[in-house]
Amino acid sequence: MLAAIASATLTGAVGSPVSVEVHVSNGLPGFTIVGLPDAAVRESRDRVRAAILSSGLPWPMRRITANLAPSGVRKGGAGLDLPIAIGLLVAAGELSPSCTEGFAFCGELGLNGSLRHVPGVIALADATAAPLGLIVPLCDMREAALVRGGDARGAATLADLVRVLRGEARWPSTPPPTRDNSAPDPPDLSEVRGQALGRRAVEVAAAGRHHLLMIGPPGSGKTMLAERLVGLLPPLTPPEALTVTRIHSAAGRALPEGVLLERPPFRAPHHQASIVSLVGGGSWSLRPGEVSLATNGILFLDELGEFPVAALEALRQPLEEGVIRVSRAGGTATFPAAFLLVAAMNPCPCGEGVYEGACTCSAVTRARYRRRISAPLLDRFDLVVPLSRPDPDELLAGAAGESSATVARRVARARTAGLERARELELTPDASSLLASKLRAGGLSARGLHKVTSVARTVAALAGADVVSFAHTSEALSLRAGRAVVVA
Amino acid sequence: MNADNGTGLPAEAFAVALASMPSMGPARLRTLLAEQPPAGAWERANRGGTASLRDVARTWQRHTSLGIQVLLAGQPSYPERLADDPQAPVLLFCLGDPAVLGAAPTVALVGTRAPTRYGIGVAAQFGADLSGAGVSVVSGLALGIDGAAHEGACGAGAPPVGVVAGGLDHPYPQRHERLWERVASSGAIVSESPAGVPTEKWRFPVRNRLLAALSDVVIVVESRHHGGSRHTVDAAISRGIPVGAVPGSIRSATSEGTNALLADGAFPVCSTGDILVALALAGASVAIPPRAAGRRPPSPEPVQGVDRLVYDTLTADPSPLDELVRVTGIDLAELCGSLERLAQAGLARDAGGWWERV
Repeated sequence: MLAAIASATLTGAVGSPVSVEVHVSNGLPGFTIVGLPDAAVRESRDRVRAAILSSGLPWPMRRITANLAPSGVRKGGAGLDLPIAIGLLVAAGELSPSCTEGFAFCGELGLNGSLRHVPGVIALADATAAPLGLIVPLCDMREAALVRGGDARGAATLADLVRVLRGEARWPSTPPPTRDNSAPDPPDLSEVRGQALGRRAVEVAAAGRHHLLMIGPPGSGKTMLAERLVGLLPPLTPPEALTVTRIHSAAGRALPEGVLLERPPFRAPHHQASIVSLVGGGSWSLRPGEVSLATNGILFLDELGEFPVAALEALRQPLEEGVIRVSRAGGTATFPAAFLLVAAMNPCPCGEGVYEGACTCSAVTRARYRRRISAPLLDRFDLVVPLSRPDPDELLAGAAGESSATVARRVARARTAGLERARELELTPDASSLLASKLRAGGLSARGLHKVTSVARTVAALAGADVVSFAHTSEALSLRAGRAVVVA
Repeated sequence: MNADNGTGLPAEAFAVALASMPSMGPARLRTLLAEQPPAGAWERANRGGTASLRDVARTWQRHTSLGIQVLLAGQPSYPERLADDPQAPVLLFCLGDPAVLGAAPTVALVGTRAPTRYGIGVAAQFGADLSGAGVSVVSGLALGIDGAAHEGACGAGAPPVGVVAGGLDHPYPQRHERLWERVASSGAIVSESPAGVPTEKWRFPVRNRLLAALSDVVIVVESRHHGGSRHTVDAAISRGIPVGAVPGSIRSATSEGTNALLADGAFPVCSTGDILVALALAGASVAIPPRAAGRRPPSPEPVQGVDRLVYDTLTADPSPLDELVRVTGIDLAELCGSLERLAQAGLARDAGGWWERV
């Protein structure tokens, strides 16, 4: 007896359809899986056998062969457990072929017959073209419904699923969320005392999607500001949210139970992160890296100077194109990587470099530290802000600054009303002549001029102004002044 | 024992070969050459060794082809200034014109390798002013203060003198390669190390002793608590050479050394005139200019309103924008605009994102 069941497997963040064929024939009892299975798929033999027996269904003492077609593509993950089990039951005559027709199956089996979560359900649902619907573990049903709508079906155990397919029971309804789905609020900007320039920098970065580099001594609030930047970004639009959710699902990260991720993600990989974990990869199963997990959100690199130079240079292509192409022996995958880059670094290894005279680094040490940030990478930052430690009085007794909500409203207004228009904002004559004098004095390159102008327009849009004034341009220049600390 | 002239090589060639021997320091060299003339000393030191006369000739050839002049104590080309120095080097290598070592009055400008902008500015200004007044600036060509002093002095008048620790065949530090060439072409660079000797750590204090010995006055521009300038100062004090120090902020770590020197009795240096007075007191013939009226800051009169408030808040030391916002209470964009206006009027300066009054 032969059965063919539709399913899908994950390559990178994209699913590809797989047809699971199961053949049961006379011969020595045995169970083989062919069609380039990886270790997790080979192990599914034991899971499938235990799950079927635990569910009170008979195990055919015959020769069983499962083939995963197309046979030339490597398949990974435990999500093929369920289609193999269903195919086996059909081939053994436990289920009639007609009741599985038109459905696709994805799910991992427990030894007790329960259906378990599989990563990347959104991508898998994209890849399956089953007209009647996609059947997934009950816990993944909400996620599948994001793509398949009412077609998404779920079951808690293999035994339940068999009863439903035989027509002995009804499809279970979507389970109510068992967890609180609302992500915790990001920390509030009002907790940052003083730091007028730093606060302004995160606001401008959020409004104009300007990459931000903060340079300051330890204790100047670099990390604090970066963590609060995410609260200033507007919530994701539905297509953005789906992109983010798809990537996070494919990476196997826990989602707020099948509900879209609506907040921009904030990723802060440590500086010891490998290049592969940053940009994505892996030998066979191509997994998205931090740059992709941060897509439509923020990638925060603290201690930028401590990252391996190769890892930083690898960021240049995604920064330019908004996607990252990962090529490995197992194939090529393209992941979205449109993130806002926020980085922080000390001015020198001892950290005191902005305070003249307090720095204990030798000139050679400082030069070597600065060389780690290449000029092309530095050029990607529109905002390079020098931070200093806040005044102790202000830290202890200063008035709280504006809250995240206030600033976020300004950002949202600038983004919705202003940014399209901002690109056409004119510079006032004195603003133009200020930039011209900087150009002539050699303090500004042609690329720098472009960046300053674009930042000045964002500043003007935040202020709701009709022209880019002298003050807006001066502020934009100040928001780049930190370059002098690193370029020496 | 062959006399020097028996080999066709000058006495200097044997001295250089002797100095180029492994583990040969200035002190040992002095002892050996005090006992015997160079050829004999070399032969004795080489007894049982493998070096031949051909090696001596090759080392000598190397020095002459690099344009390195060899000054042997007691010879007419040897700088007079060092003749009665208690620790005078018996052998001196020189790039450029050795005559400048004895010609003009000399002032050493030394200090930390990691200075502040203040220190760099002061060192460059003193370098240029002294050079313009006909005083040779002596310094170590190191990063920081030394380099800034020579940058100021090069081409400003009197020939500069560089005193370095390693061999003269490779500029050190590499970043000062071009400065090195300019000093060598307009003045002289001297060293006690033969060509090919790497710049080893122990050679720096030895170099500092020579630097002091070549100077009429030693000025420390900026130095840390236990900075290397201390060696130069100690050497100067033991030779009775006047030592001056540039006062600095009591909050600046780079002025701890200089402020401590002032407390110990070094004379304070607040202008080039102070150095020239010290030179004259030390017996050098220099023209001391009448006390300059001093550069007055541009009158802030035309500045009105917000700009005036911002100008009054600025100090000669750079302050971060955050502090200016806090003190003035002005909105960031307006403050930035005001600062740029002041900068255009020449009243303020952007120092790496921090602002200072001009």
